[in-house]
Amino acid sequence: MISISSILIGLLQALVILLAAPLYSGFSRVLRAKMHNRRGPSIFQNYRDLVKLMKRQEVIPQQAGWIFRFTPFITMAAMLLIAALIPIFTTQSPYGQVGDLILVVYLYALSRFFFALSGLETGSTFGGIGARRELLISTLIEPVMLLVLFVMALLATSTNLSVISTKILIGQIPYYTSVWLGMLAFAFAVFVEMGKIPFDLAEAEQELQEGPLTEFSGRALALMKWSIYMKQMVLVALFISVFLPFGNVIRFPAGMPLFVSVVLSALVFFLKVMIFYFIAALLENAMARVRFLKASNITWTALGAAILSFVFYLANV
Amino acid sequence: MDAIRLLLLSVFVFGFGGLASLLLGRLRRIARITSGLTGAIGAATGLMAVARAMISTPVPLTLSNQFPFGNFVLQMDGLSTVMVGIISLISLAVSVYSISYAGHYSKHNLGIFGFFTNLFIALMLLVVTIANAFYFLLIWEMMTLSSYFLVTFESEKKETIQAGYLYMLIAHAGGVLIMLAFFIFFITTNSFNFAAFRQVGLSPALRSLVFLLAFIGFGAKAGMVPLHVWMPPAYSAAPSDSAALMASVMKKTAIYGILRICVDLLGAPFLWWGILVLFFGALSAVLGALYALMEHDMKRVLAYSSVENMGIILMGIGTGMIGLAEHQFTMTLLGFLAALYHTLNHAFFKGLLFLGAGSVDYRLGTRDLNQMGGLGKLMPWTSFSFLIGALAVSAIPPLNGFVSEWFTYQSFLRASGSQDFIVRVALPLCALLLALTGTLAAMIAIKTYGSAFMGPERSEKARNAKESPGAMLTGMTLLVIGCILLGLGAPLIVPYLANVVTQLLRLPSVTMAQGLWVYPLNPYQAILSVPLIVLLLAGLLIVPLMLILIFNGGQAGSRVVSEPWACGYGYSNRMSITAGSFDQPMSVTFRGLYLLRVAIRSPMNAIAAWAKRVRESILRAEPVLESVIKQPTTRAVEYLGQHIQALQMGDIRMYCFYIILTLAILLLVIFR
Repeated sequence: MISISSILIGLLQALVILLAAPLYSGFSRVLRAKMHNRRGPSIFQNYRDLVKLMKRQEVIPQQAGWIFRFTPFITMAAMLLIAALIPIFTTQSPYGQVGDLILVVYLYALSRFFFALSGLETGSTFGGIGARRELLISTLIEPVMLLVLFVMALLATSTNLSVISTKILIGQIPYYTSVWLGMLAFAFAVFVEMGKIPFDLAEAEQELQEGPLTEFSGRALALMKWSIYMKQMVLVALFISVFLPFGNVIRFPAGMPLFVSVVLSALVFFLKVMIFYFIAALLENAMARVRFLKASNITWTALGAAILSFVFYLANV
Repeated sequence: MDAIRLLLLSVFVFGFGGLASLLLGRLRRIARITSGLTGAIGAATGLMAVARAMISTPVPLTLSNQFPFGNFVLQMDGLSTVMVGIISLISLAVSVYSISYAGHYSKHNLGIFGFFTNLFIALMLLVVTIANAFYFLLIWEMMTLSSYFLVTFESEKKETIQAGYLYMLIAHAGGVLIMLAFFIFFITTNSFNFAAFRQVGLSPALRSLVFLLAFIGFGAKAGMVPLHVWMPPAYSAAPSDSAALMASVMKKTAIYGILRICVDLLGAPFLWWGILVLFFGALSAVLGALYALMEHDMKRVLAYSSVENMGIILMGIGTGMIGLAEHQFTMTLLGFLAALYHTLNHAFFKGLLFLGAGSVDYRLGTRDLNQMGGLGKLMPWTSFSFLIGALAVSAIPPLNGFVSEWFTYQSFLRASGSQDFIVRVALPLCALLLALTGTLAAMIAIKTYGSAFMGPERSEKARNAKESPGAMLTGMTLLVIGCILLGLGAPLIVPYLANVVTQLLRLPSVTMAQGLWVYPLNPYQAILSVPLIVLLLAGLLIVPLMLILIFNGGQAGSRVVSEPWACGYGYSNRMSITAGSFDQPMSVTFRGLYLLRVAIRSPMNAIAAWAKRVRESILRAEPVLESVIKQPTTRAVEYLGQHIQALQMGDIRMYCFYIILTLAILLLVIFR
């Protein structure tokens, strides 16, 4: 049931996300430095870090077992699979025959499950606290994401990402109020899940380190960091494919060679992702950090927006 | 032999095993091996019955008798077959497991334990196949009683007795309600046969009354919030293999009861029935998960997690009932399919988790999460099995829990086709709550697994632990395989379960799977392929491996250090996070919902207090009865006795005189 071209496009998407993710993360680092009136690192600094880490020796605490060693691999595999599931360059989900948006949400849960366990396995204080924090945020945010996506699925009467994306693109689902509100709530959720400031630890803060990442080192740390960059970019891609799919190719127009049309829509996609990162960086740096127990006070607004979106869906506007 | 005779054979094997183990009670080791092995053989026979019934639905077997309340009818339609399948598969694993596990209780009379375990399984097999209300109730109550004896097996502990008492109270209250429901049927049909119930046209009010009675009655057994209070103490008190049987199998008989009575016999004609079931399902799912998070006793965590999963199953049933009332074919099918699939899955992963908890208890002698830690290295296979169960209960793809929750979401999506406003509001909100439940379940699983099997050992017992014996590992392995196959095999299982649903509701048959794919009736709505997920995830693992190769990461190697990093201070085991500190932020964030627990508890306490008063007044009433009835009777008997003694003089001539006198009187009477 899967055609060769969609297998190739899926792999291409996974590869592009893999290669571009550190760049976007570097971009937001640069923006952050500029807003602090610092010179900041080069936009390519993340690549250098990754290559360097890859070559370093890995240090593993004695209590760590196979889950700790396995986590970097499964996390990256899950992110790659999600990247191949989301309609990025076309409106078709390349691996749409494998699963739908519910699978996407639960694949995130898979990576988070192992991420949190790896933090606990080392017996490290920071790993444990970070795992706890990661899971608390997820209980606050994941339901919001799912409700918004579910409302979109109700509008499309399908949970298939291809169908939702196509219907939005060709205007079969007009931009109702409920879609706008859903977009707002989802953007908020993506912002939180990207690990941006009010909800997450900035780089190398001593008191919390980086949560479950604390004990990772060498190539394992490189893979973990890379997966986290990918996670951020994949979330943005999901947002774009559901809410702003304009510019994507609908089923490869006959006149144009597949290659050209995919490249064109890829360019549009990169631009959209860049804008999202830019806005996220603006918001991040305009905000103060809060105690994480207060996180729920802020996320309720996201839940509120999601529920409003649902209410507007019920009222058909 | 046809399926039903095989089933009866299986019941007899269980019964025989129980009796044999009772007789061999003194020889503890032999008793536990006998009861375990006969249990496994009985379960295997049950599986053969299921295989036969899956090929062709057997004709109901009627053992006619002279009793006025009807015939002893056994039937194995699709629903019963699925239930027999669940019971047989789980009891196979549990029986093998308990061969070694029962050794944990070597000071107790293991004969009795084996007797009640086997009897319990045999009765469950009967309860899901019997098609006569009178015998159903009889067996249902016997099943409750035998499980009561399993709960109170460690009767020397005070909390065990209390747990058993609470269980008994709620289970019997539920039993009475079910009895009333059947009684209403009996008055109108003058028969106890399910076949007669199915045909009767009850008035709407009476129909709803029967529904409410049955739903609450079975809901109490299923552990629906707010009737769940008996479960955590009971499961925590019962030996782990019995707890596994109760959580993964006995509760399913309650689900069976709801499906049989509310859906099969009553037909779920009214919309509000479904909405009520959905409401209690959602309530149980969310509250069960939240409360599980706060527990530090491994088995209590699992008990609350069962409440949560019952909630998910009830949500599926509720959606199916809404679909029936609204004549929405797809919604009906998806709702019931999701419920049945989750019933099957929950039996496997919850059984697995309870057996895992038992395995830890067997070696450590504690269920307190704060005293475990680091067991992953010492008990590797137990740890791996528990991890699989934990992943499945958190609905992580590609394991079985994910597939059934996926179908639950798909059934909620059919809300878009509903005419009724409440349905259009309720179902998407249930999707929200299911998502919340999913994340909470993952948090519970991570907390339980993490604090038991990971990090440093937190007690002397944990440091000295070693892997459990082979029989226990075999039992767990069977369930691990089940969890994996139920996920991977979705394209085979979904069509079968869909068939069961259509047969139960007398609907036309449908196609829901093709090749490696399953879809919710309409492939346009969604497609899922679990085998492909596994294939792709495994295949994509190559990418990180290649990255390491490309960047020469393999050469740097790795080094193991003794301690995790602690800001430059000396590391101490006490620095690692415990179960208690893990859930603390949740209690802050969801404070309101935890307060609700206190609110639920107070009426429950009131009921318990009332029951206690009843018991006390019975004790007070006893002396009154004594003085009015018993004492005068005793006095009269004594008085008579003393006066009759006067006749008894001890003189042989006097006795001769009595004999002659008697003869004379008799002769006079006869020849008069």
